[in-house]
Amino acid sequence: MRLDGKGLPVVAVSTLTAAGLSGPGLARRVLEDGIPSPRELAAPAPSRPEDIRQRKLMSRAAWFSALVMRGALAEARWDEGRDEIGAFFGVGASGAEMDEVARLVAASMVEGQFSLARCGREGLDACNPLFAFQIMNNFTLCHGAILEGLAGPNAAFFSRGAGTLTALEEACAAITSGACERALVGGADTALHPVTMAELEREGFLRQGLMPAEGAAALAITSEAEAPLGYVEAVRFFPVDRPRGALVPRTGVLRDAAVPAALDALEDQPCDVVVLAPWGAPAREALVDLPEMLEAELSVDASLSLGESLAATPALAWVLALDLLVHLDKHRALVLSAGPDGDLGAVVLTKGGA
Amino acid sequence: MKRQVFVRGRGAITPLGETWPASRDALAEGRSAVEPVKHFDVEGYPSQVAATVPFALDARGLRSDKPSYAPKPPLDEAEDRRLALARRAADEAWAEARVSAAPSRIGVFVGAESGRATYGTIFALSRAAGGGARFDHARFGEDARRLATSVHAAAVSPAAVASALAARIGAEGPVETISLACASGAAAIVSATQAIRLGLCDVALAGGVGADVDPFMLVGFGLLGALSARGVSCPFDVRRDGFVVGEGAAFVVLAADAGDAPRAEIRGAARTLDAHHLTAPDPTGDGAERAMRGAIEDAGHVKIGYVQAHGTSTQLNDAVEAAAIRRVLGDALPDAHVGAVKGAVGHWIAGAGAIGFLCALEAVEEGLCLPTAGLDAPDPACALPHVAGAALRKPVEAALVNAFAFGGANASLVVSRCA
Repeated sequence: MRLDGKGLPVVAVSTLTAAGLSGPGLARRVLEDGIPSPRELAAPAPSRPEDIRQRKLMSRAAWFSALVMRGALAEARWDEGRDEIGAFFGVGASGAEMDEVARLVAASMVEGQFSLARCGREGLDACNPLFAFQIMNNFTLCHGAILEGLAGPNAAFFSRGAGTLTALEEACAAITSGACERALVGGADTALHPVTMAELEREGFLRQGLMPAEGAAALAITSEAEAPLGYVEAVRFFPVDRPRGALVPRTGVLRDAAVPAALDALEDQPCDVVVLAPWGAPAREALVDLPEMLEAELSVDASLSLGESLAATPALAWVLALDLLVHLDKHRALVLSAGPDGDLGAVVLTKGGA
Repeated sequence: MKRQVFVRGRGAITPLGETWPASRDALAEGRSAVEPVKHFDVEGYPSQVAATVPFALDARGLRSDKPSYAPKPPLDEAEDRRLALARRAADEAWAEARVSAAPSRIGVFVGAESGRATYGTIFALSRAAGGGARFDHARFGEDARRLATSVHAAAVSPAAVASALAARIGAEGPVETISLACASGAAAIVSATQAIRLGLCDVALAGGVGADVDPFMLVGFGLLGALSARGVSCPFDVRRDGFVVGEGAAFVVLAADAGDAPRAEIRGAARTLDAHHLTAPDPTGDGAERAMRGAIEDAGHVKIGYVQAHGTSTQLNDAVEAAAIRRVLGDALPDAHVGAVKGAVGHWIAGAGAIGFLCALEAVEEGLCLPTAGLDAPDPACALPHVAGAALRKPVEAALVNAFAFGGANASLVVSRCA
């Protein structure tokens, strides 16, 4: 999707990374090498008394999402008409908190054996009442939307990269079609959930250097603004052939696809900044030469700098790119993401007037 | 001007039939597939019934002699029930559609929830962490590498369904997995409609799948107090006391090209959020109403002759939805009829909106309004022109489809008969 004119204005951003919760300022931390190593985040405590009980009921990813939504809304000063604001997020397999599962399992044991019947009684009693909601992926979007009163068009896309890009594309489509004038778009996820870690291990991503992390990012996008942080100029998908059964394309194939994809997304116009978001070493290897080929002044690897937080990473990369444009007073950035869902994702951003 | 979106193919596997025609015929007779859960011990569970596809499926979606429930690792792809169900329904829809398009112009849009591994896998992971009341992450880390080899990617990634279907039909356009709980299937059809309208693809396989008849989901929904203690699914009935979990898959093939004999077209689509409360549904039905009005407004001038209600069979949701339908249709209500499918096949969660869409399609294409199974004594609080007891035949110009989710996500669609 290529947006008309300058594109759609981005008026606010919010991120949660190992560096903490922040609006603009992520770029400076990254450039100064000031981001702590990826680790389990100390989830910020609720800032509103009424949220304390909710936090106990929500999954980590849902809480991360709620925090960046709140941050972006505050920075955008979108206090009015929230029921008309759209929300589009890339989400992961939220999974139940394993302590909940552990309590359920422990309460379901009879003489060292798991008892299904006991699970239905004592196991049930041992659980968080919103156990089912922790398991459902959509609550990463919905819990935050409920806490912040967002009631416009919406969607949560399961994402291993491309789903978060789809969220951005649908948010842009919702605004350009008039379904809403303002939308929050982003992603929130944790790669440190034990089930997800097991998945990453099995598929070899950990051996290939993927650094699992947690994170979230939200961007506030609107139909028009006087002095935005920047603009979304284009959102593009480029499917890449991959061997049957493989989770990611071969490095050479991905490399061959990346150059024309980047040029196509940029419409053969130059860019100053390239931000890459590759999953693991093979994808990184495929993309690493791209900034030089595009003669970009600066390139940053978001997955290396911030760790891999799965559904959140593309959104973190967009925020990082916008922040680099503002921080370094550059004009145009390309963000290229490559996850195991088989697509190269390209987002072109330009600096605004703020 | 918006591109038109035509319905070219349909497919479903349900607890009542292995194809959509077989399922439709059973639905028309008012049959219900709700029965006691047999594939695991449900003694002590808050609900002990479900609507289950009564056989196992292999990786190709064919009947298998294996038990339909595998409680222990190792797991393989054949045991990902979502994938097997989705393949069957998608194959049927794709075969009926007979569409052709360049691979890059074909998209796949799947409503699939819950990235959790199966009960057996999660149980094994928990045991690897010591099996105490606290999850020992350090101990799990030590054991994870060995255990990880037993966790198949397809078992934990809802995106595996969309990826597998894309590979099966050779789709290289947009491949999306929409996770909006009970609205996922309808929301996927909304996304497919928008993708065709925007020119992102010309053909789309869209639908949803649910396979949640497992101990964790029965416990989870039981904790919410959402399941029927009586073990009966009877939407809009005065005796309703909760929903019954079901499973199945339903898909449609949509295309910008009408084909030789177009029968139905998607005219309107909308999604909203309630943003009301973390646990309680919005008693005003405002989000549901805005979704319905949004879809009808998007459709332009249409006469709604049938409403495929979400109809979960829970006390509050049915009453709220009925009131919202009455407000939205207003003076047009007496000319419309309302049906709900969960009394017959249970609640498929992520697949619910997709099977509802097929029922609405039947109304506009064939003039067959399917009855709400279990609806014997309509609740005055849910007063609507229900289709109850037996199917109703009447010409339907356009139908409204609703799907409303835990968490407050709502999706509505308007499908109309082609002239």
